[in-house]
Amino acid sequence: MSSEILINVENITLRFGGVVSLRDVSLNMRRGEILAVIGPNGAGKTSLFNSITGVYQPQEGTITFSSSKAPPLSVIGKKTHRIAQLGVSRTFQASRLFSALTVFENVKIGAEDHTGIGVAGALVKGPRTRRGEHASDRVAIEMLKFVGLFGEANTIASQLSYGARRRLEIARALATDPQVILLDEPAAGTNPSEKLELTTLIRRVRDEREVSVLLIEHDMKLVMSLAERIFVLNFGSVIAEGTPEEIRANQAVIDAYLGTATEETSA
Amino acid sequence: MSLVTRSALKRLLVSLAVGALVAVMTGAPGGYGVPAYTGVHGSFFEHVSYFGLFRTQRWFLFLTLAVLAWLLLSFYKAHAHVVQRRLEPVTILPSRLMARRTNRWVLIAVVVVVTLFIPKFVHQQFWMYLIVEQIGVWILLALGLNVVVGFAGLLDLGFAAFYAIGAYSTAWFTGVLPTPAPFNHPIPTLWCIPIGVALAMIFGIILGIPTLRLRGDYLAIVTLGFALIIDDFVGTQSGVTGGGEGSLTVPKFDLNAGFFHYRWGISPTPYYYLCFIFVVIFLVAFTALEYSRVGRAWVAIREDEVAAESIGINPLKYKVSAFAVGAASGGFGGVLTAGLIGNINPTLFQYQVSVNVLILVIFGGMGSIWGVAIGAIIVQFVTSYLDNYQPWGYQLNDLYMYIGALLIIMMIFRPAGILPSRRRQREIHDFETAHEGHLDEVLTGDEP
Repeated sequence: MSSEILINVENITLRFGGVVSLRDVSLNMRRGEILAVIGPNGAGKTSLFNSITGVYQPQEGTITFSSSKAPPLSVIGKKTHRIAQLGVSRTFQASRLFSALTVFENVKIGAEDHTGIGVAGALVKGPRTRRGEHASDRVAIEMLKFVGLFGEANTIASQLSYGARRRLEIARALATDPQVILLDEPAAGTNPSEKLELTTLIRRVRDEREVSVLLIEHDMKLVMSLAERIFVLNFGSVIAEGTPEEIRANQAVIDAYLGTATEETSA
Repeated sequence: MSLVTRSALKRLLVSLAVGALVAVMTGAPGGYGVPAYTGVHGSFFEHVSYFGLFRTQRWFLFLTLAVLAWLLLSFYKAHAHVVQRRLEPVTILPSRLMARRTNRWVLIAVVVVVTLFIPKFVHQQFWMYLIVEQIGVWILLALGLNVVVGFAGLLDLGFAAFYAIGAYSTAWFTGVLPTPAPFNHPIPTLWCIPIGVALAMIFGIILGIPTLRLRGDYLAIVTLGFALIIDDFVGTQSGVTGGGEGSLTVPKFDLNAGFFHYRWGISPTPYYYLCFIFVVIFLVAFTALEYSRVGRAWVAIREDEVAAESIGINPLKYKVSAFAVGAASGGFGGVLTAGLIGNINPTLFQYQVSVNVLILVIFGGMGSIWGVAIGAIIVQFVTSYLDNYQPWGYQLNDLYMYIGALLIIMMIFRPAGILPSRRRQREIHDFETAHEGHLDEVLTGDEP
């Protein structure tokens, strides 16, 4: 892990009308680390992801992304697809695969270059188009092998088991050649053995593909075994940050999760 | 009452209701100035012969047909699994045959050869014209709209506008409108193809960029409005477009390549081959598009726009490109029609045309290139036949009644079209299984 900051979220506030979803949240992520964001339901974890990926536009604060492909730049105001092209990839809480396409096609779409227009290229099928096809085929095969779904390449995505869908989503996100991958509750709805596979897979994403991982997860066992640092959100604010050991011992975190008598007086 | 008899009774009532409806639909018209019930009265009490056996009234005919249908339904319900098992080898055969690459190529070769020889078999000029004007051109239009509706999943209700733009720009550039041709220099009709296509495409892009940003069905409304504006413009601006008369003198196609000179004349056969070439080009080009990077991006956006964006696909760009391809095809169809018929007027480009093309796409199977082509041939052939021969007391005004009934039946039994696109079929299937037992979600459009 280097000390270089990859994503720097500074004092962002996100409101929907009168409802404050994120309040003055700051978070920094270093290149090559596995960082987890935890918190009770409705704490603003997914809102934070959506702010980083440009789905929501925070009213205040800055988010900077230091891609190795480009100088550090502000993410706010950029379109989601542009941010994805810069190297921020993500998965979704409820998996969002292209369910009518095959497993292979799902990953291939991720690997493809979407910057040109492509209609003319598709019609003429020149050498450049063909090279592109071959390149994305190769990437798709590589990613499917990486997540262990190569044997299912021709299966229709909607016919996969829950755990396999999760892995496919990760493969699709990795196919975009990202610098950081944002995983939104990857273990939700999986069984214990799938959870174990997923834990190994996420660690391999960082170790073998050298992609930093930002993780939202409710399963504490998974978070504690994977994450190197943890941020805890509650009611839209960061209430704690630190290593798993520190978080485990943090009184504010325990209060947030279990609720206390003092909470009512202080809130 | 036991469950079996209740469902049997329900089936009987439905059969009777459908029988009564069919009797009215096929019955005598009410007409203007006569009491409204005469049509209904005539539909039931007119004298007919019972399949040539004995004289009776219509109600008896349809009553027996309804009961017959009920008996068949009851039999099928009771023995459905047996029937399906016996029929399975037959119903699966075509797809099994087509699964082999060589068989597919043989089929394509046969189709091409048969199509090439059609002018040899059709001796009536009238039918040749019909094949070119009502089928050939409409296949092209339907294939173009299929890119927008079927591939990208955008509802375009104003396709006729681009068709009109293609046709009128041809008339304009060949100098047969009241407005003089650009630079006062009329050009040959064949040269209008790139111009008409480009103009239609530009209009498509201009219309698409602001509206495709929005999600939902705004596009449908905007395209509808655009088609009405274009329709109104060409119909009323007599000084510019010739008004209701349009133009009667669009020159025929004329290919002059220096060493080779060919002029399309009065005979429909050369137009047939011209159309044939373009249909083949469209089929090949759109198949290539479907299985390209662009085609996959369109599917991704159609299925899940948020997920598509998260992997770097710019939805606006791809939607506009689909819309532009569709508009260009519409413009192309317009140029072809203008050069073919030789006269254009606003009735050719009314709102009805947009709906007709959409019906072809839905009937054939949204997103399925071959389905749309075959659907266009079937629907256009049947409607032309009905229009010209008017068999069994069929009346021109009734066309949309039958088409409406056809679409309702299609949506119930074959929602993905007669020759469904495999991807589309899966999407519909997924939707149904995902929403099984959650009627609320289907009604409110909540995501699963």
